[in-house]
Amino acid sequence: MKIIACYSNKGGVGKTATAVNLAYVSAMQGNRTLLCDLDPQGASGFYFRVKPSKKLKDEAFFSDAGRIAASIRASDYDNLDLLPANLTYRDFDIFLSRMKNRRSRLKKTLAAMGSDYRVIILDCPPNISLLSENVFKAADRIVVPVIPTTLSVRTLEQLHDFFRDQEYQTKKILPFFSMVQQSKNLHRETMTELRKKYKRMLESYIPFSTDVEKMGIHRAPLLTFAAKDEAAAAYRKIWEDIEKKAKIGG
Amino acid sequence: MEPFVFFLPGRLSIQKLSQLLPVESGSRISVEKGEAEEGFLLDTFENDVFQAAKILLQTGQLLLLFDLQTGQLHEQQAAADWKLAGDLEEGPVFRLLADISKLRAFLPIAKVKVKRESGQLLDDEGKTLVRFHALTVSRARKVAAIGGTQSLRGYTEAHDELKQALREYGAVPCTDTVELYRYLGIEREEYSIKPEIPLQPEAPVKESGVTIIKTLMGLVRCNEKGIIEDIDSEFLHDYRVGLRKVRSVVTLLSGIFREEDTVRLKTQLGELTKKTNNLRDLDVYLLGREEYFQLIPPITHVGLRLLFSKLAAERKEEQKKVQAFMKSRGYARQIAALQKLFADSANLGDGPIAHEKTLTLACRLILKRYRKVCKTARDIDENTPDPVLHRLRINCKKLRYLMEFFTPLFPAEEIRHLIKSLKVLQDNLGRFNDYSVQQRFLAGVAGDPKRDFQVLQIAQAVGALTAMLYRLQMEERGKVMENFARFDSPEIRAEFHTLFHPKEDQDEDHSLLQQ
Repeated sequence: MKIIACYSNKGGVGKTATAVNLAYVSAMQGNRTLLCDLDPQGASGFYFRVKPSKKLKDEAFFSDAGRIAASIRASDYDNLDLLPANLTYRDFDIFLSRMKNRRSRLKKTLAAMGSDYRVIILDCPPNISLLSENVFKAADRIVVPVIPTTLSVRTLEQLHDFFRDQEYQTKKILPFFSMVQQSKNLHRETMTELRKKYKRMLESYIPFSTDVEKMGIHRAPLLTFAAKDEAAAAYRKIWEDIEKKAKIGG
Repeated sequence: MEPFVFFLPGRLSIQKLSQLLPVESGSRISVEKGEAEEGFLLDTFENDVFQAAKILLQTGQLLLLFDLQTGQLHEQQAAADWKLAGDLEEGPVFRLLADISKLRAFLPIAKVKVKRESGQLLDDEGKTLVRFHALTVSRARKVAAIGGTQSLRGYTEAHDELKQALREYGAVPCTDTVELYRYLGIEREEYSIKPEIPLQPEAPVKESGVTIIKTLMGLVRCNEKGIIEDIDSEFLHDYRVGLRKVRSVVTLLSGIFREEDTVRLKTQLGELTKKTNNLRDLDVYLLGREEYFQLIPPITHVGLRLLFSKLAAERKEEQKKVQAFMKSRGYARQIAALQKLFADSANLGDGPIAHEKTLTLACRLILKRYRKVCKTARDIDENTPDPVLHRLRINCKKLRYLMEFFTPLFPAEEIRHLIKSLKVLQDNLGRFNDYSVQQRFLAGVAGDPKRDFQVLQIAQAVGALTAMLYRLQMEERGKVMENFARFDSPEIRAEFHTLFHPKEDQDEDHSLLQQ
């Protein structure tokens, strides 16, 4: 079982779209995949029309494996299940702070589900918190969408700094460019610069696409209604890279 | 969550089904409707699809295979003239049919109309909660639906709701094909190459022998049509097994008929079997095609392909000969006369042991043959000449036939266990023989001036193949002693002893067995 986190400490960078589409591609490749929505807003669930989980409150999340298993829902697609979010997730940090081994609770929780799935994808809320530290510890790879603008670059630097400070493995971080507009000078220049600085930056990038925005209307992964869109191809390519880097399936 | 696999007498109306769902759940059914199409229900001559609890349908080029055990519906395109699983391309239907039978042809058994529908139960936001599919099959004026649900993780309540609605509609759980066939009025003849033939232990053995032969003759005759039409290789296989067994009854129970009848029948049945020897040999080689290719290096494959194309052409000719023979008046007369002869035991004169009790003779013959097998086998070592091993093989086969003929007289489980205990040794000896026959065949083929096979590539392939077959034959030879030792265990000895010994002389015979 491999855990791939979709994470950014900045909001609005296409994180949930990434989690949803990568989970879909992973499942299409034949991997039993669980998309785990850790964001209390529950956007991943919304895209799959899965209603929020009523019962899976945060304390149960870290202590009751049976209740987690009972809260998992099949998506409309083969091999792809979803663990929908619960609004109480916004208080995760309070609960975690009271627990023993508070930085490795998530890892333990996910390990309990491991046998059912080859891939678990985490859609994480955009902040640096106790929960995100749990994510950093649990994940095999952390996929970080980066819009090639100054502000995004700064947050990527912050993330790396944080990893170094806390002595987490920075090699887990796999950034890639998201919502790229090749027509903008700033985007092109930032991309060139960042590629020099971060060797692990993925080759493929997700172009800005109105079809990605339309996911909310279709309430389905991009690849199901706009498979020929450039962004759809990019998600497929990015998943290929992740499969190689995280040694999934081989 | 288990799927609900159902049978519904009559049509399935989605509208009516929807009305049976609980209103408060807010769910609805969405369905992709299919059109009713003309097609066929298919099965093999032995009803293998039916036995496997599956339903195979074909409409145009589309194959539909409904699995009653899993509730899944598989589909695949097929070439218009497909018959065997091996004729299909790789796909879900191919995989399941290859599991059901690699050798038997899948044939139309009833003309039907088929409509398929697949649908989902959706919630108020359009999320799929349950999937299901249904096949509506109609024949003449009868209509029935079969289908299966697929429950999705986390939505068991919705699955229960749909299941309940289906039940209220009149659907019943369905685990075998019997119901559908019966409802549509499809009748199938039961067929087995090893039929259970009821015998009376106290009956005169001549009567029992004739009963066995009568049944076997029926089997022989019902395979003729399949041979003439060249449907699949197993018609001829079973036909020959039937004839060979009839001949074995005559020879193994020799003395139930008059000497002159026994000799005449033995010759006649032997001659009849011989007529199809060549065709069966060619079938065996052609069926083993893949294995031959795997045996020898790729460099010799060109020759092997040539050889096989020539063998295939030869088979075509041989098939024509057999077909002509079986359609001939002479054959019709001969086989009908045989069948008539065995229709009543009074048609044949009594031999010296005709009136012996069946059970007594069965026990005596089986034990005698068992001792013969053991005696031959115990003397075998590395230096034993091949003909002795061939003799052992034949004795083993006779022993098995005897046990099979008289199976109904003994406790089922015990006799089956003994037949099974012999099987490993028999298979071993069977392969030993096959490899030797194949070497001889290849040598004959390659050297036969009439056949025009003297092509260098064929010679290379035959050479490589012969070397491999010899090696395999030696390997089998090496296993005979070990397999016999396993068969010759104290437990098996004791089982033969208790099962086939008349009570009074048990002690004496037991001591004989120990020698």
